[in-house]
Amino acid sequence: MKALFRINLILSLLIALPLVVHAQDSRLQLGSLDHLAAKANQTVDVSIDERLMKMAAKLLSDKDTDERDVKKLVEGLKGIYVKSFEFETEGQYSAGDLETIRTQLRGPGWTRLVNVTSKKEGNLEVYLLFNGDMVGGLAVLHTDLKEFTVVNIVGPVDLDKLARLEGQFGVPELGVEKKTKNEQ
Amino acid sequence: MKNVHTKFLIAIALLLLCTPVHASGDDFNSVVKMIEQFYRVKHQSIPFLAKAGMKVATTAARIKGGEAKRIAEAGSIKLAVFENQAFAGDFTRFRASLNGALNDTWMPLIQTLSAKNVEQNYIYLRNVGDKYNVLVINIAEHDATVVQVTVSGKNLALLLKDPEGTGKSITEEATIIDQE
Repeated sequence: MKALFRINLILSLLIALPLVVHAQDSRLQLGSLDHLAAKANQTVDVSIDERLMKMAAKLLSDKDTDERDVKKLVEGLKGIYVKSFEFETEGQYSAGDLETIRTQLRGPGWTRLVNVTSKKEGNLEVYLLFNGDMVGGLAVLHTDLKEFTVVNIVGPVDLDKLARLEGQFGVPELGVEKKTKNEQ
Repeated sequence: MKNVHTKFLIAIALLLLCTPVHASGDDFNSVVKMIEQFYRVKHQSIPFLAKAGMKVATTAARIKGGEAKRIAEAGSIKLAVFENQAFAGDFTRFRASLNGALNDTWMPLIQTLSAKNVEQNYIYLRNVGDKYNVLVINIAEHDATVVQVTVSGKNLALLLKDPEGTGKSITEEATIIDQE
């Protein structure tokens, strides 16, 4: 009976372990947005995981100035994930789609840093995940009537780094720096 | 005791069942076959291709900046081309099948679907020793290409920095080299 209890305990721990690890991660679950691809005019899905980020950091040379700059930029990052949908007409994504992302960003550690609402350029929200004093990740939610974009960077990152990553590593040009300055 | 032993065996069996089954064999050929089956098309071997289109690509690359930049390791290119065929079908269903078939052994890097331009692009990566295999799949309304190349670490970094641009260069390079 005791042995059976021990086996049950080990199995329960094995099942629960990935859930615990996942809860501490700043990676957002974006799979629920995949259905939007069927309605979108343009879909972009970028997935650069920790293995690839490490490879990139390892492979870039310290001798070449350009490569050294990029290396500094990606060092420590554990992933870049982008899902972007552009639609022909308005109203193709629902409040529920937005809510699946916002619910995660209301979780422990996440703080909204930027919230810009513009009739012309849509809404831009930038969130940072704090693990104590350290930044563990960043999320950008950019929406307008015909566009839905989520960028999730896992690892130590700030707005300056985000601005430098724009247009590289699959991160779209969001103009975060410009929009943030305009708001101030 | 027998009861505990049985339960332990069941637990082990369950854990083994949860272990992902890895795709085996030649994934390049599997992808080509998958496209053929999904879209009911047939790929062509290079000698049967219309040369005119290829020549345009070669000339354009030369005008742009002399010799096109070589990304793939010499002799590593696998290429399948589909020309003048209809690629009509559900983008998302094809994407799901492709990801299902490749995700265990390949890492998806970027996937772009454009309903407006009727175009799909997929780039997958996998590690092979100190080099990397890159699989680039491009499907347009009437044409498609599947390219697999081996790249060095340095060119992999280039690919990660600009996935879309480097993916296009790989396809361009494969078709130009085969034409030359």
